[in-house]
Amino acid sequence: METFTNPHFPRNLSVAHVALFAPVNNAKDLRSRIIKAATLDGDEGEQERQAVNFAFIDARLITSRLHLQTAIYQAVMAEAQGALRTKKVHSEIVWILNPTNNITEALRRYGVSDTTRSLLVVRIDGPDLPAERAKKDMDAIISGETVPLDKLQDITEWNTVKKHYKLGQDTAILEAKGDSAREKVLINEIVISSVASKSIAS
Amino acid sequence: MPSASSNLIASAELISQGAEAKVYKAHIHSDTVPILVKHRFRKGYRHPTLDASLTRSRVAGEARALLKCLRAGVNVPGIRMVDATEGILGIEWIEGMCVRKLLPGGAEAETELSDADAVPFTGVDALMGLIGTEIAKMHLAGIIHGDLTTSNMILESSQSPRLVLIDFGLSYHSGLVEDKAVDLYVLERAFASTHPDSEPMFSSVLKAYEVRMGKHWASVSKRLDDVRLRGRKRSMVG
Ligand SMILES: Nc1ncnc2c1ncn2[C@@H]1O[C@H](COP(=O)(O)OP(=O)(O)OP(=O)(O)O)[C@@H](O)[C@H]1O
Ligand SMILES: [Mg+2]
Repeated sequence: METFTNPHFPRNLSVAHVALFAPVNNAKDLRSRIIKAATLDGDEGEQERQAVNFAFIDARLITSRLHLQTAIYQAVMAEAQGALRTKKVHSEIVWILNPTNNITEALRRYGVSDTTRSLLVVRIDGPDLPAERAKKDMDAIISGETVPLDKLQDITEWNTVKKHYKLGQDTAILEAKGDSAREKVLINEIVISSVASKSIAS
Repeated sequence: MPSASSNLIASAELISQGAEAKVYKAHIHSDTVPILVKHRFRKGYRHPTLDASLTRSRVAGEARALLKCLRAGVNVPGIRMVDATEGILGIEWIEGMCVRKLLPGGAEAETELSDADAVPFTGVDALMGLIGTEIAKMHLAGIIHGDLTTSNMILESSQSPRLVLIDFGLSYHSGLVEDKAVDLYVLERAFASTHPDSEPMFSSVLKAYEVRMGKHWASVSKRLDDVRLRGRKRSMVG
């Protein structure tokens, strides 16, 4: 797990704990738990919502650390400005990662599905939540292994990213045909730039 | 409570102050990789509501043009953060030299480059070629820059020389031959007023532009002649 701190944000939003789980063995159960938590009443509901109080992101669609950091930055900024387009900062991260405005589609593509095998798990909080505690809370609901974030480069599915962003016909990508290293650099740059500017996308 | 963006700016290094915007070197995710932050500050002489919506649309316009260029393979900085409410656009920091300073007449006296290290990585002619090609790619993508000068181009100091276009604050979307011709004419005037004996340099720019534009060149070339003529008439009258 890694912890990013941004001193420019309000204290209660200044820390992001990020872990990459690969593989994940309980995606189906995790997904139904997340869905159920939203509808439970009373103390039990509160507890369940707290237990799944993370952004769960399908790691195959994330092209780099900066890609994820950019989505986190824009989501936290929206939260701090009272300008969330979704209910919570964690769902906002998932929404920002998807190129369209459709939240259901964002969760279906970028969130947990029954077949998810690798997950980036993000917790936005203040400095009072120690990293070990955040990690323990993640481990309590996910059965799998955590690996260093740099392992992302073996997990990214570039063709799926290309499809979601409709990059296939873009001149930049067509010109890089046959040079897969160059193509990845370009896809990563376009995707990061799209995430950064999602708030003003028409 | 101060906003995240005002904290960001407070911790950043001011590198240029224009009439419309202040430009900073700042850090968001990393202490080693900087970003460039352009802040379109509040204009006291404008009505606050109008000011806010104008600022917002300028930031949005610049970001959209950059994204369109990226998708079209035009060398421009990537986008790193946008806070349109506060008038802030964060983009990739390009490490390199402003083209104006690389050419005769462009550098301030004390920083004038000696012949030996003038135009690193590439010669003047090759540099002009890179400029023409990049502008053509941008025009073919339907983007008009609106403020083409040698200040708004950076020769990146990476492995292979890369010419990066910056400052899309006045850019717009257009496929019109007239708009492309005026874009080129603005650059021609900028060359003439900044760099002595610029004609051969600008012709090298046009030569590379022509190659990249292919069949689209003829109409732009003809229109550029018209625009030049209009410019001369205007200066005779005015
Ligand atoms: N991405 C970048 N990386 C590094 N330096 C940059 C970048 N963008 C701009 N600069 C530097 O900052 C200066 C001002 O940027 P820019 O032209 O975008 O702003 P501006 O407000 O329009 O300024 P001006 O009115 O002087 O044209 C540029 O001339 C250049 O030297
Ligand atoms: Mg400028």
